[in-house]
Amino acid sequence: MTRTLEPRFVSPSLAERLRGMLGVDFYRLFHTPNYYIFLVIAAIIPAMILTMTGEESGEILYTNTWNVIAADIPLYVVRDIGDYANMNMVFIFGGIMVSIFIGHDYNSGYVKQLFTTHAKKLDYMLSKSITCAFAMACMCVTYLLGSVMAGLIVGASMDVAVGSLAVSLLGKMIMSMGWASLYTFLNVIFRRYFGIAIASSFFLGTGIPIIGAAALLGNSPALNLFLYGSSVNACLSSNFATLLTCLVVSVAWAVLYNLLGTAVLERSDVY
Amino acid sequence: MNAIEIRGLKKSFRGLHAVDGLNMTVPVGAIYGFIGENGSGKSTTEKLICGHLVPSGGKIKLFGKSYRDAGVRVRIGALIENTGCFPNSSVYQNLMMQCINLGIEDPDAEIDRVLKIVRMEDNKRLKFKKCSLGMKQRIGIAMALLGDPALLILDEPINGLDTDGMRIMREILVDITKNYGCTVLISSHILGELEKIATHYGIIRQGKMIQELTAEEMENRCQTYTTLKTPDMQGAFGLLRRQYADVRVEDGTIRIYDVDDTEGIVDFLMQNGHPVSEIKKNRIGLEEYYIELMSRKEGA
Repeated sequence: MTRTLEPRFVSPSLAERLRGMLGVDFYRLFHTPNYYIFLVIAAIIPAMILTMTGEESGEILYTNTWNVIAADIPLYVVRDIGDYANMNMVFIFGGIMVSIFIGHDYNSGYVKQLFTTHAKKLDYMLSKSITCAFAMACMCVTYLLGSVMAGLIVGASMDVAVGSLAVSLLGKMIMSMGWASLYTFLNVIFRRYFGIAIASSFFLGTGIPIIGAAALLGNSPALNLFLYGSSVNACLSSNFATLLTCLVVSVAWAVLYNLLGTAVLERSDVY
Repeated sequence: MNAIEIRGLKKSFRGLHAVDGLNMTVPVGAIYGFIGENGSGKSTTEKLICGHLVPSGGKIKLFGKSYRDAGVRVRIGALIENTGCFPNSSVYQNLMMQCINLGIEDPDAEIDRVLKIVRMEDNKRLKFKKCSLGMKQRIGIAMALLGDPALLILDEPINGLDTDGMRIMREILVDITKNYGCTVLISSHILGELEKIATHYGIIRQGKMIQELTAEEMENRCQTYTTLKTPDMQGAFGLLRRQYADVRVEDGTIRIYDVDDTEGIVDFLMQNGHPVSEIKKNRIGLEEYYIELMSRKEGA
């Protein structure tokens, strides 16, 4: 009754495994309403900030459109909401989005399908980090579009050093990789506790620990070693060195968080 | 070669041994019925094989390779506890995700193929959350069948199914082992259904494998017996004991084990002045065998 067929097994390479995992994550991303909702939120928030800080409100936060994207200089020490309300908020929305995205993997049980067929936990970490970094980079783009449209509507100044603005935007988009890796790591750690995962992502996304450190240390360049610090550093006076710093810091944290997340998944029950 | 070979597998949860030195051998092409009480360690073992849990000790080999080998793992399909589908996505979208995950070249053709096997080809645009329990179970099987799996691990796939659903599931499982050369590890509490398809059995208790046997071995151990009643039970019992090897009085009836010739029994009793008022031929099935084995172990 028992057949004696001997199946053949071909081990897929890292690239092949990652292609499959990334394919699933991007398919899911583009087929989930949350992604589009967060893109819209990223566009609406700067528009709200600019339009609500017009003359009628009596309090003007920004007279220059581009300040809703980044400050003129790196302001680690936040004096008021005006210093804080810029494109770095994308990383807070991104944290929530990543938590929902990864949380669905566990809530639905789909993660079992992934871990049954993918023995390598690194594949999961890398794929989630890359997909979520892409999503956050897209949010940066819609944030830019929202800012420009709102700036044109309210007639705010458009004066800027285009090169520095481009470096600043690119720097923040590069930082998405580090942030996405952090959030993926947090969500792997707290995979059984969705509430804690989302709260911790939100908390770290606000950059409060770095803002607190800055209150003690002042506007120290040493803070650029951290994700929030480098994200703030990508400002309207950025240059090539700023971009390089963002790249090194983002990649270094991404590598660290991905390795840590992989180690956690390798050593603990995943579901 | 064995599809699954487990030696000394252990898994503890906060000091509680869910799987305790388990050994298991599943030959290639078998439908292996994995039987045990609730909490005996069936699902834990299946999760360990699938890599969802980290073993506390022991070895798992799949097709002669480490269970962590990516080449082997990509050819495992599993349905453990739930289907692992996104409720707001359609049946098609859920299957498409798994096709992409497995790197299947023509996902649409593959989705059509597996949906045809599970007889769900007309429902692929339906949202998963709108599906009935039976449909969800079949989608779970379809998901597990994607990409030509060499090993299917199914945890209670017939739970909650109606009679027709069970029949369909049974036909699907027999079909995939015969026509696709797939090995199936299936756990179920519905032993009557399992008995109809399993080629091998493994009985687990308190995290330990207490018995592994083939369907043929099980068949040999599952005795046939005849129950009968006569007006003089005591006299007939004494007479039958002298004639047949295994005669017992149970539940107010006389039971004669491993004798097929009921007419011969009736004739023998009639010739000796014991008219038969009631006679019935029975068989000890898997369920009775399992219950007896469990009670024997409890007593031991």
